[in-house]
Amino acid sequence: MSASANVEVNIKDCANADPEKLAVFEQHVAEGGLVEPNDWMPEAYRTLMLRMAEHHANSEIVGALPEGEWITRAPSLLRKLALTAKVQDEVGHGQMLYEVAQDLGKTRNAMLRDLITGVTKYHNCFNYPCPTWGDICMIAWLIDGAAILNQGTLAHGSFGPYIRTMRRINMEEAFHFKHGEDMVLTLMSGTDKQKQLAQDAFDRWWDPSLAFFGPNDRPDERERPAMRWRMKTATNNELRQKFVNRFAPAAMATGLVINVCKKDASGMVISKEPDPLLKLNEETGNWDFTQPDWDEFFRVIRGDGPCNKDRLALRRFSYEQGEWVRRAILDGATTAPSDH
Amino acid sequence: MLSKARSNLPNATGDLSTDEVAAFPNWTVFTQKKEGAIHLHAGSLGAPNADFAQMFAREHYGQDQPCSSLWIGPREIFTANDGVQETYEVFVQWVAGGRHEHVGVVEAENGADAKTKCVGQFIGDKEYHTIWSAPNSILTKIESATNMIWRKTTDQNYRLAKGYSRVVRQKWDAIRAGAAVDKYQEEDLKDTF
Repeated sequence: MSASANVEVNIKDCANADPEKLAVFEQHVAEGGLVEPNDWMPEAYRTLMLRMAEHHANSEIVGALPEGEWITRAPSLLRKLALTAKVQDEVGHGQMLYEVAQDLGKTRNAMLRDLITGVTKYHNCFNYPCPTWGDICMIAWLIDGAAILNQGTLAHGSFGPYIRTMRRINMEEAFHFKHGEDMVLTLMSGTDKQKQLAQDAFDRWWDPSLAFFGPNDRPDERERPAMRWRMKTATNNELRQKFVNRFAPAAMATGLVINVCKKDASGMVISKEPDPLLKLNEETGNWDFTQPDWDEFFRVIRGDGPCNKDRLALRRFSYEQGEWVRRAILDGATTAPSDH
Repeated sequence: MLSKARSNLPNATGDLSTDEVAAFPNWTVFTQKKEGAIHLHAGSLGAPNADFAQMFAREHYGQDQPCSSLWIGPREIFTANDGVQETYEVFVQWVAGGRHEHVGVVEAENGADAKTKCVGQFIGDKEYHTIWSAPNSILTKIESATNMIWRKTTDQNYRLAKGYSRVVRQKWDAIRAGAAVDKYQEEDLKDTF
């Protein structure tokens, strides 16, 4: 599971950039050319790309926290192995993305600290709770599925190190997604209790999955730097529609019901009704659907979500608890503990 | 649902006292998927020393798909132009955005010489984007023939997408067949009563 790069950066202009170099750069990018860290780039490109990669890295690290919690409670040895491998992958993605961001001018140390102290953000969907195994299934299916859709487009971006990382990440996400699909199908072909577990978790995750792609497009979306410089190659709304077109019929085929839900402050569903707008629109060929609760989305982004504090507290705790290990390695030992 | 250790975390805020990560060097990793295949740039990682870099590389770059060999070196050696007379592995990135790939070995006086010789011996008139070189004495090479990387002695399909293809298809088929039976019975009942 990893995250979209919907980082809000307002760059009014490139007033500081050399106009000749900027023109060459923009033409290179517009023609499908790729940018490497040592190439000339406008400062605004560097800043935006750095923030995208850092936000993505943060999301990988925080995303692993709710899943890690379930490793010891996985229902079978196979699931435990797979979930362990997935969590390991996610943390590895974070590692790789921090390296991408580092090349753009911010140290990894600063990024790890800024995440914990709340200076930088991570993907909003990880501020929601995972009370059951069903949530682990739905995260792997819906959120990783959404991530693959998004990252598939990011892999056609303009920054070389980022797209190389996306390709590798997407290969691993494919495993997470397939495993998620297997888990959801297992629940939905099981007992009534299993189906209920899946439905309850689906109700909690459908909305965050729709919101995963970020707020609705602004009128000038394509003229903004992220798209003009090909860091993003699809708009939030395009990706959201693609997601619904793919997942709504699949979810219904398994027997899941797509509901519009009201949640309490802890993120648990208190009331629901089947999405009244959900249907295949014959004219457009797209599925119509009810928008996620955007008021809630912005409230959670601002820090007032069900799990914001827990996630950061756990991240801080593990970072601080690891201090002595890092010190021991740096201060004394020149070799790692041996395998045997 | 959180375990007690996790649900009773200290509610600390503010700046952090620790700063050790700043001292961790970066390492560059090349992987070879099959024996005889070329080594391709896999990515980089941060680790406190060479031993940890090798362990991280083994876990992070050697376990997500079959891997027969890993090369790991401090990041700066690949772009360095200084150095001493010795054998250098040389790597070419043919186009911007591409991955550096291993093209061969040269005997050279230093990094700059290695890169020049790389052009002479392996590139010629072809276009390329950048060249990296790494002194053999600094590069760590882990070969699976003597030091297993991908754990092929046990079934690793659980960590690959293709490990789920068949079972997922079977489950979809069963669900669709079930839905068809339900539909049939529903209409059956309607006609009967």
